[in-house]
Amino acid sequence: MPVIEFAGVRFAYGAVPVLDGVDLALGPGAFVVLAGANGSGKSTLLKLCVGLLRPQAGTVRLLGRDPRDPEVRRRVGYAPQGLHLATSLPVSVTEVVAAGLVPRRGPFGWSVRGDRELVRRALAAVALEELSAECLFELSGGQQQRAILARALVGDPEVLLLDEPTTGIDQQLRPQVAAELRRRADAGATVVVVSHDPDDFHDVCDRILVIDRGRVRQVTHAEFHLHVELGRPGPGGGVAT
Amino acid sequence: MSRLLADWVVRAYLAGAAVGLTAPVVGSFLVQRRLALIGDGMGHLAFAGVALGVVLGASPLWGALAVAAAGALFLEGLRSRGRLAGDVSLAIVFYVGIALGSVLLSGAGRFDASLLGVLFGSIFTTTWADVVEITGLCALVLAATVASYRGLLAVALDEETARASGLPVEPLNLLLLGLVALLVAAGMRVVGLLLVASLLVIPVAAGSRLAHSFRGALLAGAAAGLSSVLVGLVAAVWQGEIAPGGTVVLASSAIFAAASAVGRRAARRHPRRGLP
Repeated sequence: MPVIEFAGVRFAYGAVPVLDGVDLALGPGAFVVLAGANGSGKSTLLKLCVGLLRPQAGTVRLLGRDPRDPEVRRRVGYAPQGLHLATSLPVSVTEVVAAGLVPRRGPFGWSVRGDRELVRRALAAVALEELSAECLFELSGGQQQRAILARALVGDPEVLLLDEPTTGIDQQLRPQVAAELRRRADAGATVVVVSHDPDDFHDVCDRILVIDRGRVRQVTHAEFHLHVELGRPGPGGGVAT
Repeated sequence: MSRLLADWVVRAYLAGAAVGLTAPVVGSFLVQRRLALIGDGMGHLAFAGVALGVVLGASPLWGALAVAAAGALFLEGLRSRGRLAGDVSLAIVFYVGIALGSVLLSGAGRFDASLLGVLFGSIFTTTWADVVEITGLCALVLAATVASYRGLLAVALDEETARASGLPVEPLNLLLLGLVALLVAAGMRVVGLLLVASLLVIPVAAGSRLAHSFRGALLAGAAAGLSSVLVGLVAAVWQGEIAPGGTVVLASSAIFAAASAVGRRAARRHPRRGLP
């Protein structure tokens, strides 16, 4: 059974079509990078995956069910694009990462034994352990981005949906992030990374998908760069399954 | 000195301390979400509730609570549809609350000096029954906030991710505004409906200048709120003529100024730990 399944999905913002008949099926352990130009529909596709948007035609299934089902959503690690956290009051890095465990414990649930270790491991995965007690908003943009990524990773979710997860992160740390995501996929997680530039992940991902004129096409790394240069995908296009 | 420990002052300390401690705890989540003015909106709506209580012969506190709770539902409806982003909708709610209250009270022939106590507080007239009512409401608010702390914080940090992760965002939002409604009703006697929202905001702002985590800011805010009420009440009793609601809010503002100065000094010593 596919973990993520799109069938004939259409979506438009007003009169502007973004996705037009998208078919996609990703199984357990798949690691794909979703690339493409600004406004091509990458983030929209991720939001459809997790039920934040609803398709105007076609169906989206996550772990075999409606993605708006809270039971399904609790098994997903999601990181939206950008530094989007509310910033009025100070928040420690640990508090941000621990918030990723709240859906599993329930809104009225308490921390359980082992939660502290889960947070520590998530922070270690993004090389942020030493800054765990710091106020998030006093850190650099790249460090904040790593904390948001750790929040998605904490508790080892079955599905990882990450929108531009390496934006702002130092070049030398990006391979560590990519290797961590590969490790998660090897352990059975389905990983979808949205990225302007798949160079950060091309050594570790299974496939690069490009959204082109509302359709999802699979391309090689070389074809992706051809796509960027010429504005359209090279051969190898087709329905991504 | 004996006046500072008189029976009516002790009742004021107890009721005021309960509100001063509880308001910043709830207010922390509002401030984090940039919804600080919602407390003001509910205070204004609660004025119409007080008037309704007077007209119907019911307790003003329960009238305030009923209308503030209805206002919580209405304001959350506006917020969730994105119509509370601008300040016009909230301003209209302010005006309608005050106007409705004044019309109801004047129509009932009760538009008199006792209104000043509703608008600016009348803590020195609290009875032991009032103290029980106010501390009971505050205990309920504190217990509910502690029980839902992690969920409220996750939503306050990032509503989109909380929703995508399966948290019941709308029920948690309603719970938060319901707690604010309870707090507004409980705080009405302490600082009045026009100033009650200040205790939801100013101590939290003070706490945020001293802490590096949300929990730290919340606890520092609660300490600042408690101190504000006690200092304000002592000042009002000591002087003998001035309104305690005003002294409480001015005390909280002074604590905020002091916390800002301390925070700036700490930031200069440790640049990394700068102001939030």
